[in-house]
Amino acid sequence: MSCGLEKLWFGIRNVCLCLVSSILIFLGSGAVAEAALLDGVMGGFEESMGKRAQAKGEQLIIGNFYPAERPDSHGPIGAMGEHTHNEGEFMFTYKYMRMFMEGNRDGTNNLSKSDVLRDFVITPTEMTTQMHMFGFMYGLNETVTLTAMIPYVLKSMDHVHRNGTKFTTKSSGFGDIRLGSLVRLYAFETPSIGSHRFHLNAAVGLPTGDIKATGATPLGPNTRLPYPMQLGSGTVDLFPGLTYGGNLDNASWGLQAVGTIRLGDNNQGYALGDEYEVSAYGAYRWIEWLSTSLRFKWKDWANYEGRDPNITQFVGMGPLVHTADPNHRAGERLDIFGGINILFPEFMELENHLGVEVGVPIYQNLDGPQLESDYTFFVGWQIIN
Amino acid sequence: MSKVSTYILMATLMFIGWATKAQAYEVAEVRDGATINGKVTFSGTAPEPLQFEVEKNPEVCGHQRSLVKVEVQNGLLKGAVVILEGIESGKPFAKQEFRGNPLGKGTFQYEGGETLGLRVNTENCNFGPFTGVLTPDEAVRFGNKDSIKHVLHTFVSMDMRGSVLRTLHNRDIQPDGAFDRTFGSDKLKESRLVRMTCNRHDFMQNWLYVVKNPYFAISDETGQFHIDNIPPGPYTLRVWHPILGLQEQEVRVRAGMVLGADFAFSE
Repeated sequence: MSCGLEKLWFGIRNVCLCLVSSILIFLGSGAVAEAALLDGVMGGFEESMGKRAQAKGEQLIIGNFYPAERPDSHGPIGAMGEHTHNEGEFMFTYKYMRMFMEGNRDGTNNLSKSDVLRDFVITPTEMTTQMHMFGFMYGLNETVTLTAMIPYVLKSMDHVHRNGTKFTTKSSGFGDIRLGSLVRLYAFETPSIGSHRFHLNAAVGLPTGDIKATGATPLGPNTRLPYPMQLGSGTVDLFPGLTYGGNLDNASWGLQAVGTIRLGDNNQGYALGDEYEVSAYGAYRWIEWLSTSLRFKWKDWANYEGRDPNITQFVGMGPLVHTADPNHRAGERLDIFGGINILFPEFMELENHLGVEVGVPIYQNLDGPQLESDYTFFVGWQIIN
Repeated sequence: MSKVSTYILMATLMFIGWATKAQAYEVAEVRDGATINGKVTFSGTAPEPLQFEVEKNPEVCGHQRSLVKVEVQNGLLKGAVVILEGIESGKPFAKQEFRGNPLGKGTFQYEGGETLGLRVNTENCNFGPFTGVLTPDEAVRFGNKDSIKHVLHTFVSMDMRGSVLRTLHNRDIQPDGAFDRTFGSDKLKESRLVRMTCNRHDFMQNWLYVVKNPYFAISDETGQFHIDNIPPGPYTLRVWHPILGLQEQEVRVRAGMVLGADFAFSE
């Protein structure tokens, strides 16, 4: 049974690899550079839509397009790869993310420090993750948008020992660089049903983030820090996804599903768990330059495979800390985010967007004990030529 | 499949490709060519020009713009495209230029010669006149003389009413920038209409009729049109206007004759 599942899993991975390879070939070919990927294969749908539009005296637009700039022409700032660019367009993004976790949880139940310290010598009490993300998007042609993201990560985790000692560990540095492409699939629009657009997300995460971060702990001054304090995955990761976006008058919305697939183990002998997340959002443009949004994000992630022998998991008194246990990493969480997007007047022919988004979890089920999430905050500036 | 069969199949496909290519228009001498003169009229009340408050780049485009879709003076229609269909060889394409309506300064420039040579010279937030023509499989040069960018969005109309539009090109034209785009016959298929808009400036709208020979004319402000140097033969004479639609009549042209052909649209 497990062998069958393993085969299935490798099959899925191979499909994803094929998908990425196909997209790379597609990028090189340029053969469909002027069309959305599904142009010309939606004949029946288009005929039916065309008849409906004609009956209403409307115009149906199909094919490859991207909405003119408006504050919500980009999704909430916390979402990634939710919009594409026209050929030759370049976007630079600076995004700051802060995630705060406080308290422990097992399943859906909160745990007190003493609950955790019954099973572990040390418990984390809170963790702050900050990320400065520098993003680049470039419209390679009328179908493909190239993306790159370079994160700089700062992590800090507070702990308490059974003996009452408190200490903090910190790590910082560049995280995993992500390179990818967005491939327009299809779009259609009529005045009464609005605009509907679909694109593929395909990205590769490169193992540029440190997975050997050390710090001062009760075990010593240069101890390998537990898994959540490491800055990268150490593996080449694939991020396949599908995005849908739409707008009608002053309303807009989107739906995105993105997976994270780890290819093999890293050089420390483990692999982070695979993940998938689904985001659904709606936004409303109140005035020409301001829109607000509401977003729900479901995320599910698995436990790690393997373990880093340099991360101390057990001491004489028993398990050291749950963050050092690769089998206490999985979970699922539903977050709700509120956001604001502002479109500034053009400056030097550059389009400027500011986005702010704050989210809190409304459900989290952790393969604990684990630190639980309290809030996530994003602020980002986007400049488009 | 044997190798021989494969070679035969490949040769057949190559021949079909060559034969298809061979149907393209060829410039050839026309002796004692005929002429068609006519006018296009409109009766009734023409739709009022659309008025736009300019949101983007008013410093370049002006604060208000209008779009005249049906331009009529004293019952005479300007901007109707007249096409003589079915001619596969004859006179070269003419060199000519058409300017957009005020306040626009854009032009459709036809370089002429063996091909149409369309150049769309965008200026003062205007691509050019409301109507024009293009030929399939030939690069069209899109230029921008403005100091702001425009987002060229072109569509092929899947019907003659422009009610189903498929995107062909969608890209920025940077300030003082230019690029070439081809409207491939594989994309146009049987369609003859191309729409052109700017995604940033909604008053920038134009229509192009797909022609396959140089025997076309665009009616002037007096509604007149003139097509000359026509080789003898039976043809379909069409007049098309993006708002008023399509009309056609069969004509039989003899050497040296001057033929009159008028068209009348109504609201």
